[in-house]
Amino acid sequence: MFINVTLSLLEGFLGTLKLFSLTLLFSLPLGLIISFGSMNKNLIVKIPIRFIIWVVRGTPLMLQLLIIFYGPGIFLGMNIWGAGDGGRFTAALVAFVINYACYFSEIYRGGIQSIPKGQYEAAAVLGLTKGQTFFRIILLQVVKKIVPPISNEVITLVKDTSLARVIAFYEIIWEGERFIKSAGIIWPLFYTGAFYLVFSGLLTLLFGYVEKKLDYFK
Amino acid sequence: MAILEVHEIRKKFDEEEILKGISFSMEKGQTLSIIGSSGSGKTTLLRCLNFLETPDEGTITVNGDLLYFANVTHMSEEEVRKSRHHFGMVFQQFNLFPQYTALENVILAPKLEAKSKEDVANVVERGKELLAKMGLSDRMDNYPHQLSGGQQQRVAIARALALQPDILCFDEPTSALDPELTGEVLKVIKELADQHTTMIIVTHEIGFAKEVSDEIIFMDGGVIAEQGPPSQVIDNPTNERTKQFLANYIG
Repeated sequence: MFINVTLSLLEGFLGTLKLFSLTLLFSLPLGLIISFGSMNKNLIVKIPIRFIIWVVRGTPLMLQLLIIFYGPGIFLGMNIWGAGDGGRFTAALVAFVINYACYFSEIYRGGIQSIPKGQYEAAAVLGLTKGQTFFRIILLQVVKKIVPPISNEVITLVKDTSLARVIAFYEIIWEGERFIKSAGIIWPLFYTGAFYLVFSGLLTLLFGYVEKKLDYFK
Repeated sequence: MAILEVHEIRKKFDEEEILKGISFSMEKGQTLSIIGSSGSGKTTLLRCLNFLETPDEGTITVNGDLLYFANVTHMSEEEVRKSRHHFGMVFQQFNLFPQYTALENVILAPKLEAKSKEDVANVVERGKELLAKMGLSDRMDNYPHQLSGGQQQRVAIARALALQPDILCFDEPTSALDPELTGEVLKVIKELADQHTTMIIVTHEIGFAKEVSDEIIFMDGGVIAEQGPPSQVIDNPTNERTKQFLANYIG
């Protein structure tokens, strides 16, 4: 029984992992683009971007999932997500990417703005181009500053994926709950916690390693 | 011919005129110190020379080449970059790059211009020589946070020299240092002066300015109030404001 449950939960965890990894893949770069928008001097760019960040960070992710999944059908009269599990996954992914990109953008913005002006000026008087300044001087300093807050968000994301079950996205909690109905046992649901713990433990080790690698400068 | 000619430089920040028409020139191999109270515009003037600020009016000429003419030129990023090669800059806060060692800080910019492996080897060799000259042979592989303020500033001087600028500028190079560390930085600057490095030094160290300079400019309220050799400006000032300012120092 235990092995059967473990195997089923692993299958559910694949759904969790898929949503987790694809969310990171898209939201990390999208967040950088959004952060540049939110730092833009042009108010026509900056204000709408800041507004979107405010809305996304100011409302529950669960609500955003529901609106993104059901909204198009209700307000536009068309189901843009396609039928079945594929459609649910796409909708969940879109909601997660938007949500996390906004959080990441604020972390990037904080990191970029914390770099002292003197670093840019020193690079400028040495004749470095803007590209050289960003890639050779600024970027690594920003990365060092944002690793701890990014690591926090990433670990939150592992657990947030469980929210996608409100639109019936198949992941590990869903799988764990199934045993209540099918076998009348609740421990598989509790057991899912172990999967989250192990995975976030691995991520903690990974980020700890990265932080340590960047420890050689201050 | 003067190595640097500055003519009628004006600069406003938010309607407040910080530089109200600055003109001076200097000869190759000279050391020029700019003194004056905070807010007199001396740092802004230095930043204009390095194109960290754009003057509203005036011209800057180096070695007879008109680098900047506010009335006609809108400089592209590339032109600004080229013009900056005439000037080296040492900042009050050092502004070393924290992720690079002392040597890497010094060779970073010249290495980007190196075209062959041989060039790179030369750049590295020269970087080591410069750091040795600054008394930092044993500190080349240290990161900035492992160095004292005085050592960091000497690395910054080596970094500025590595590009072989025509004119080396210092913006209050010892103001961020503990008193016991200023000496080692001033000593290095003195050595550079003795080797006839062309330098412009914005400083509050009046005694040092007197010792090291060929020429002193006293700035007050965005204009040059008095200019001349130290024996005149510091020892026998004629301008009332200069007298007042120096009285506060000598006390």
